[in-house]
Amino acid sequence: MHNRLSSHLSSHLPGLVPGAFTAIALLCLAALLFYQLTALPEFSSLSLGPRFVKTLGWSTLQATLSTLLSLLLGCAVAWALSHQPVFPGRRLLIALLSSAMVLPTLVVVLGLVTVLGRNGWLNQLSEQLFSVRPDTWLYGLGGILIAHCYFNASFSARTLLTRFESIPAEQRKLSQALGLTAWQRFKLMEWPAIATAIPGLATTIFLLCFTSFAIVLILGGSPKFNTLEVSIYEAIKLDFNLGRALGLALAQLAICATLVALNTTIKSFDRSISARSRSLNNFRDTPGNQLLQIIIILLAGCAFLLPLMAIVYDGWSADLAGIIKDPQFIQASLTSITIALISTLAVLLLSMALTVCHTSLSVSHRIGNFALARWAARFISFSATLYLAVPALVLGFGFFLIARQYGGANNYWAATALVTANVLMVLPFALVTLLPASAKAANKYDKLAFSLGVSGYSRWRLIESALLRNELIYVASIAFCMSLGDLGIIALFGSQDFITLPWLLYQKMGAYRTTEAAGIALFMLILTLVVFLLFPKLVKRNYAVN
Amino acid sequence: MLLIDQITFSYATDATPYCFSLTLERGKIATVHGQSGSGKSTLLDLIAGFLQPRSGELYWGNEAFTRKPPNLRPVTTIFQRNNLFEHRTALDNVVVGINPSLPKHGNEVDRAIDALKRVGLTDQIYQRAATLSGGQQQRVAIARVMLREQGIVLLDEPFSALDPQTRAEMLALIQTLAKEQQSTVVMVTHDQRDADAIADVQFQLHNHELTERAL
Repeated sequence: MHNRLSSHLSSHLPGLVPGAFTAIALLCLAALLFYQLTALPEFSSLSLGPRFVKTLGWSTLQATLSTLLSLLLGCAVAWALSHQPVFPGRRLLIALLSSAMVLPTLVVVLGLVTVLGRNGWLNQLSEQLFSVRPDTWLYGLGGILIAHCYFNASFSARTLLTRFESIPAEQRKLSQALGLTAWQRFKLMEWPAIATAIPGLATTIFLLCFTSFAIVLILGGSPKFNTLEVSIYEAIKLDFNLGRALGLALAQLAICATLVALNTTIKSFDRSISARSRSLNNFRDTPGNQLLQIIIILLAGCAFLLPLMAIVYDGWSADLAGIIKDPQFIQASLTSITIALISTLAVLLLSMALTVCHTSLSVSHRIGNFALARWAARFISFSATLYLAVPALVLGFGFFLIARQYGGANNYWAATALVTANVLMVLPFALVTLLPASAKAANKYDKLAFSLGVSGYSRWRLIESALLRNELIYVASIAFCMSLGDLGIIALFGSQDFITLPWLLYQKMGAYRTTEAAGIALFMLILTLVVFLLFPKLVKRNYAVN
Repeated sequence: MLLIDQITFSYATDATPYCFSLTLERGKIATVHGQSGSGKSTLLDLIAGFLQPRSGELYWGNEAFTRKPPNLRPVTTIFQRNNLFEHRTALDNVVVGINPSLPKHGNEVDRAIDALKRVGLTDQIYQRAATLSGGQQQRVAIARVMLREQGIVLLDEPFSALDPQTRAEMLALIQTLAKEQQSTVVMVTHDQRDADAIADVQFQLHNHELTERAL
């Protein structure tokens, strides 16, 4: 045992240092932010405001409904897609569903308003056909639910589709040979395959909807439907009541921490963008079931594509040349892209440092055979997953307080807060993507690498750069897109001379400059889809690693 | 009698088509040999109805079943793995073979319990399939075959994951099954000893065609 330690520890020690450093820095940052929140002079005037209990009640109801609807719709779509393995546009539809998690919230919300709003396509159609223009119902609970379902039903459909398709071919043949009906097949074969994914999925969706900010801010319509996030924002920006903001932030932190602790199995988003199709094994569903599946796919496809098409249509008819020349737009684009690139780079560096360290500590043939090493490995991953429990706005509030205390240029603090928040938001997902791949590479090649004496950079070039390539590309594209589209922290720090694309879009929407907004949204949409869908295709290579 | 009358099939229109012909009496066991990718599973999928031939006919007795869906063919298949719904009991997994709506009691359940006893699983009737050993799982699949009483039994390397002792027991069970129910058994295998132990006739799959081996 001790021989093992002395022979291996020295060769692995250098690899541990950056990761350990990163983990300690992450924990210090968390401690600093928490200290900032509690050391505030307003701590004595801590309050939750008169609406706290109602806000909590509505948010819980809203998030519960959103979760149930998203899961139900997602399950139906995944079922239909898995039973229709071949049709034109299937790959594209699945790729788009996968991208729902990184689509900029505001772009989708603008698209929904364009289709369903007071002067939306739906109302115009109804006026033409029946000469009736229904009153708008988009603002309030209805709009919030629709927007939440847009993102989370796509997310759960994509996640569950993988489960449906992981059912072994033999079982699907068996169910045909036994002549099971669609319902019997679901009950016996498909439900068990998806059931284990449901609790994790439900908690994740609930957390996302409970802490929802941009959607509730724009579609909520009245303070009645506020989430705690929006209440914190209003307390800081509108009422300048820091005592209440603080109380709400601490309450939010406690609730999220509890939820995350309950959900111990945080899963990565589904990485495979296109599912494989099995053209030779059709399901021999009854014509009625086939029709139902086609209807579900058509409806889901329309519901998903219409808001995006509205953006493309309106954006295309906007004065694009004028928008591109607008100095505000240029400034916002440069700021957003720079911040997204820096965030991406930081995510890659930090997550790799943590991954290398974690792998060395947890793989048993390196130095992981000691209780201490196992605890250290847990500490490493905890330092990142900790931030799942910290809502972006609470984080931003912490930075807001630091900025207030130390002074200095707003732009400097804004950029720091944005990059930090983006990195911390993506880091947990980067880790769940990279850790398994890294452990696999270590298990497969460590013996060979040790015996050949390959280490350091040459090891990275030979092994990790190849085996983790696709995972790193995925992490990079997710980090870039999430940074680009986020409207959270910027709502606290945005100003005349510090604008990002989502902030500019938000202001244009607030000023009812809809076509200009559509032009900006189109730009963001294209950028996101190119980075998320096209970029990985261009740089991906397939290594047969099993 | 199972008669495969010159069925042809190809996965792509420009690929060389497979062409299979075979005759096998009731109660006889045939094994099919061939390298990986030679088309052994394709042959079984065509008989079971998971694939549709381009031409030719399949007969059971005098009746053609080429165009019937899988569940209406006189065929039961045992795969190498994943024969069972793992979260269900051994009993459910047998009952589902004769009544997919899974009754809790009645004649069908009694018959399923009988079949499980006959394959030697008296103590595992209410055990979840996932907790059974590999050999026990295949026994459950065999019990289901007994109950379905379909004339044709297809085996796709069913015992290649089992140890020699268990394997021998399984082969004996298959032989009993063929005799008692007068079933026609087609078994794909890599193992020559298995084939020599139970085959009445052995076929070789090579260059997309099926030829009888001299014993």
